[in-house]
Amino acid sequence: MSEDLATWLGDMTPSDGPAWLDAWRASARERARALGVPGSKQEAWRYTNPRRLFEQPYGDGAARLATEALAPLLIPGLEADRVVLVNGRYAPEHSRLGALPEGVRIGSLARLLAEDPAAVRPHLGALADDATALFPALNAAGGADGLVLLLAPGARLERPLELLHVTTGETPTLAQPRHLIVLGEDAEARLIERYVGLDTATAHCTNGVLEISLGAGARLEHERLQREAPESFHLSTLYLCQQARSHYQGVNIGLGGRWARTDIKARFAAPAAECVLHGLYLSGDGQLIDYHLDVDHGVPDCNSVELFKGILYGQGRAVFDGRVFVAQDAQRTDAAMTNRNLMLSERAEVDSKPQLEINADDVKCSHGTTVGQIDPQMLFYLRARGIPEATARRMLCLGFAEEIIARLGDEALRAQVATLVGDRLEAAPLD
Amino acid sequence: MTSTPAVEDIVGSEYEHGFTTDIESDTLPPGLDEDVIRAISARKGEPEFMTEWRLKAYRHWLTMTPPQWGEVDHPPIDFQAISYYSAPKRPEDGPKSLDEVDPALLETYEKLGIPIEEQKALAGVAVDAVFDSVSVATTFRETLAEAGVIFCSISEAVHAYPELVKQYLGSVVPHTDNYFACLNAAVFSDGTFVYIPEGVRCPMELSTYFRINARNTGQFERTLIVAEAGSYVSYLEGCTAPQRDENQLHAAVVELVVLDDAEIKYSTVQNWYPGDAQGRGGIYNFVTKRGDCRGARSKISWTQVETGSAITWKYPSCLLRGEGAVGEFYSVAVTRGRQQADTGTKMIHLGPNTSSTIVSKGISAGEGRQTYRGLVRIGQRAANARNYTQCDSLLIGDRCTANTVPYIEVKHPSANMEHEATTSKISDDQLFYCRARGLDEEDAVSMIVNGFCKEVFNELPMEFAVEAQKLLSISLEGAVG
Repeated sequence: MSEDLATWLGDMTPSDGPAWLDAWRASARERARALGVPGSKQEAWRYTNPRRLFEQPYGDGAARLATEALAPLLIPGLEADRVVLVNGRYAPEHSRLGALPEGVRIGSLARLLAEDPAAVRPHLGALADDATALFPALNAAGGADGLVLLLAPGARLERPLELLHVTTGETPTLAQPRHLIVLGEDAEARLIERYVGLDTATAHCTNGVLEISLGAGARLEHERLQREAPESFHLSTLYLCQQARSHYQGVNIGLGGRWARTDIKARFAAPAAECVLHGLYLSGDGQLIDYHLDVDHGVPDCNSVELFKGILYGQGRAVFDGRVFVAQDAQRTDAAMTNRNLMLSERAEVDSKPQLEINADDVKCSHGTTVGQIDPQMLFYLRARGIPEATARRMLCLGFAEEIIARLGDEALRAQVATLVGDRLEAAPLD
Repeated sequence: MTSTPAVEDIVGSEYEHGFTTDIESDTLPPGLDEDVIRAISARKGEPEFMTEWRLKAYRHWLTMTPPQWGEVDHPPIDFQAISYYSAPKRPEDGPKSLDEVDPALLETYEKLGIPIEEQKALAGVAVDAVFDSVSVATTFRETLAEAGVIFCSISEAVHAYPELVKQYLGSVVPHTDNYFACLNAAVFSDGTFVYIPEGVRCPMELSTYFRINARNTGQFERTLIVAEAGSYVSYLEGCTAPQRDENQLHAAVVELVVLDDAEIKYSTVQNWYPGDAQGRGGIYNFVTKRGDCRGARSKISWTQVETGSAITWKYPSCLLRGEGAVGEFYSVAVTRGRQQADTGTKMIHLGPNTSSTIVSKGISAGEGRQTYRGLVRIGQRAANARNYTQCDSLLIGDRCTANTVPYIEVKHPSANMEHEATTSKISDDQLFYCRARGLDEEDAVSMIVNGFCKEVFNELPMEFAVEAQKLLSISLEGAVG
């Protein structure tokens, strides 16, 4: 097994950083070796085979991005501070941070580990603690950089923070960013996390980990827009831990990559918190978009909503694997999980597994899945009004997507996503 | 709660080993190897092809490992500690009369309204010849023979209809299917064979209950039902009363084959001994049930009411091959005490215009653990397939568990598939409403639960439905408040 991981793990060289960091990385390395590449017999990998990720060599990804290359990647009209990572490494020349309010710390993980490791130590790996997940372990062993966003109690980001990942280069690179987002009590922030790939023919790989910790009463709006290059692999694991009365709202838009897998592991640590997860995915020719949600209601009085919608065309595939767990003491839990899919072609495939595990009795939990196609009556209605069939189909698909797009926090982002989805549908063979 | 300790006395641990250690002339000693298989086959006087069939299954079984994925806990089963053949027991093994039977068990029978002679049969009392189903059964047999329906034990069928057995046995659930089905193929004791000829509507509901020699078919039962084109049969399995049984492991296989325009309606009421308050000694019910809708417009409808067994592990499934085939699954499962159930269905849509309906109602009380596990797969050629799934769980008490694990795999755009699941408890409002109208809490709960299960009970044959309702009320007695 471990030969497969050799290209990923490389040689372990001691860093200049503190000893605990090296020890932490070494233990992740051992864990990854012991786990090996998962096969389809493992429930979490039932529908996806990650083997091909290990079949190609990866370069060190030390490419630079020309200054003028950034502009086309930006979202017009988006007012935000910006942190840019190129191939998983912090790129200060592209980043732009205004004057930060008091109690806000934004920086590169690599830099903080070198300059002030004590500030990072309590958070690094604090949430990403599951011993069975290979990719987070690989990230811990091999990842070097990422964003650190620390908000002191009561601090508030005045402008959203855009976290832009750019992958570039003519040979495949492996980017393993690791982000730490810690909001103190009653702190508030909005984070826009974007992934953009530049080289359409190269099979880059991104394996990201986010650890998000929300203090009591903290609020985070988190928008994630994944637009990797068509041949790329994208893996992202988000660990979320919420204290009392905190609120997390996440919108996941998955458009790019040959294979994109997103794991979200959300956990309530104290009562009366709320977690809202929305998602929209568009899977076309040869693509596989893969979402795995795991929402753990370990304490009473928390609410969670999971609503994921997908459009599939061509040979697109999608997997939705959601799990809501309610512990014995988690009374008065309210959880609703929904997955809706629109299938537009003969060769598309969707595998959906919305799972509930309930150990408390005073709960309101539901899940629902639908797979269907465009309603012929709606199509007829539009055609009767002189709209050509292809246009009508696109309109109906966009209408289906709108429910999720509308959750995005500002007009610039909504317009961008609507345009991207519209363009994809324009190019799609909607037969 | 009255029934649990009562049943314990009757069917509890004292029987668990009692009958098998005492080697009688017609009981094989515990253990399993090729000689045991040959011995079983020889004792049943089976033709060569059956012996080979069993051996092939046994050899394959040796290469398999017990499944680990179920949401059930039990100590590893020692397959060498089981006796795989025991001739039907002599009447003197059981209690001599109802006086020797635990009064609490009789009370349960009383509540179910079971006639006295049937009570004897269920409690294992030696039944006198008058009731021994002979009169009833002979009449049935004559009527069936007139219609051309074959209804006999598998052992009988192996001799009388070897061609049919060869053609269909193992064709739906091959011995390679899963661990327990494979074991069953190697050692199955007996079971039921039903064959409905073309165009025949079976004149009556068939039930194992009325078949002669149906008792003690043992732990490795095998059922095969073949419905030729245009035929119809309704088959009832099991019985609502708690049944005495000394075998802890039950690994049955049920195979249904349905040809063009034919329909099989298969209803099960399962109420095996669930074990004592700590869950000791209950039956492990590991069943493989599958129907193959081979013909166009064929239909299979599974209805099950599962209230017994310490562990239930079963997924009655439908392979919808024929164009326009229909699969249905209606289930009520109750777990209480320490019972565990991992049950559900698989609907595999292969042919065009196929449709399936799944309605699953799970009730979990006490420390019961329950999992609905279902698969709906819509294949690449299954144009216009339609599925509707609803699985609801009702939780009574704060120490029980309800899991829902649906798998939905769709490979055709014209598929229409809906899945819904809810989990809730009996609301205080509902209870208050009933109590305000003078019902006591237990009756109110029983009424609400019966309402919750109504969609499934409606699918049961009439008399079964009435019994199932009563059974449910009794099962939940003492679970509330």
